[in-house]
Amino acid sequence: MMRPELVCPAGTPAALKSAVDAGADCVYVGFRDETNARNFPGLNFSRKELGEAIAYAHAKGAKVLVAINTFPRAGQPELWHRAVDDAARLEADAVILADIGLIEYAARSHPGLRLHLSVQAAASNPDAIAFYAGRYGVKRVVLPRVLTVSEIAAINARIAPVETEVFVFGGLCVMAEGRCALSSYATGQSPNMNGVCSPAGEVRYTETHEGVTSELGGFTINKFSRTEPAGYPTLCKGRFIARDKASYLFEEPTSLNTLTILPDLIKAGVTAFKIEGRQRGRAYVAAVVQAFRQGVDAVMAGRPLPDIDLDRITEGGKQTTGAYEKAWR
Amino acid sequence: MTPGHARAAVRQAPPPFSPVLLLGLALKPVRPQVLQPVFDAMLGVIRRRHPDILDRMADYADKPVCIDPTDLPFVILLDPNPEAPALTVRREIDPAEVAATIHGPLDMLVSLAEGKVDGDALFFSRRLVIEGDTEVVVALRNAIDGAGIDLVEDISLQLGPLGRVFRGMAGAAIGLVGRMRDDFEMLRASLIAPAVKEVDAQAARIDALESEVRQLRKAARRGSAA
Repeated sequence: MMRPELVCPAGTPAALKSAVDAGADCVYVGFRDETNARNFPGLNFSRKELGEAIAYAHAKGAKVLVAINTFPRAGQPELWHRAVDDAARLEADAVILADIGLIEYAARSHPGLRLHLSVQAAASNPDAIAFYAGRYGVKRVVLPRVLTVSEIAAINARIAPVETEVFVFGGLCVMAEGRCALSSYATGQSPNMNGVCSPAGEVRYTETHEGVTSELGGFTINKFSRTEPAGYPTLCKGRFIARDKASYLFEEPTSLNTLTILPDLIKAGVTAFKIEGRQRGRAYVAAVVQAFRQGVDAVMAGRPLPDIDLDRITEGGKQTTGAYEKAWR
Repeated sequence: MTPGHARAAVRQAPPPFSPVLLLGLALKPVRPQVLQPVFDAMLGVIRRRHPDILDRMADYADKPVCIDPTDLPFVILLDPNPEAPALTVRREIDPAEVAATIHGPLDMLVSLAEGKVDGDALFFSRRLVIEGDTEVVVALRNAIDGAGIDLVEDISLQLGPLGRVFRGMAGAAIGLVGRMRDDFEMLRASLIAPAVKEVDAQAARIDALESEVRQLRKAARRGSAA
């Protein structure tokens, strides 16, 4: 069995240290601008911080991947080109890209730079993956969170030596990733171009006697009672009234957790396990990385999977194995 | 809005029964200004040890935030202006003065500042309440979490040779508060045990009644179908 890499999130240098110290094989990060899909206030790395972070990670045997996974504005690719150039200059171990033009730029300008295809590119079949690998030398593809384990195994069987990376924990995205316009409709800012799904400046929470109401771009998208766990203020996790009944039409506030199916994912030939959550704090990063480090190590050593309770850090207090098992079928 | 509105949510969600709550009651007669030197010193330590916090808050220089420890009889006004940052302790704050307010028990706010708990998780579980401009709160959360604050270590390093003594005293105090918190929890559980028993009994009665109603409705539907 191939030992999978544990790819962990970091929104700040302190979170990167927490991830590395907790056993991450790789840490993925972004610059402090709209070139990455977690362009949140107070988050991400300056060039100086990234240089120091890479030195820290390399000294401890970990890699750093730089997500430059938004789509450049038409006619203004300079900011994105500079991000690729700086990631290469600072000796990042790979860049995670989504836009085909940016991938072409990176392959041409930095032939030695390892390229990973972001989930934002939504490449979910062997033909699409073969195109990116054959044309631009993409080495790894982050698969969308809509495939079953058997579908992933089938893809892996057809795309070798291209590697796959799958999400194993954190927020779920049920839309066609990189193409969702729900947040853009409500706020005028795009997750795919500005790097902000439900930008915080458009989110408003109002406490009432009944509980809390969340609004996005002036639209009321959910109401939680006083004892009900809350979730992220995204439209896909909003509660809407249809046929006189308020319910989650797209997706409930729930976190992906694959600890129990790690052996299946390893058998499916997945190269890397990705933990979502660059926007989360150091405590989340440390807890989830430790849990999955123990999980992967246990599977590789032939030991039983550890029973680790991650309920306290899940969205909405709920967990799912998502599309990997498609239990709703 | 009226002064004191910033604490409205506090009244809706009472703080936990803890040693800090008792300390808060003891501090009630104390004028907040008396505590101001403590916060001035704390800000000095943060400026020296973690200048990157204000750097990450640079876009929100004109957006003061109210931090409301719900178990203490005062609130803290954070002005993140990098030129003249300030931590001011006040009895209460008019929400019109601030961009946002963060409510939560003191020990949770300290754990959050030290990156020991995840802010999103606290928010999901509704133990942390935020009001106002969400963007400035998210920026502050990220800035503080990213700084790697360790209050005891940060203060110790500022005290020179006395730092070691402070570290020892702080460790003993934290241990004492932890033991007191356990004792308080036991006391709380003991005090509310009769009420919990009564609520459990009521819940069981409601379950039984609901089941009976469902069966009666089924029977009624069968009767009307026949």
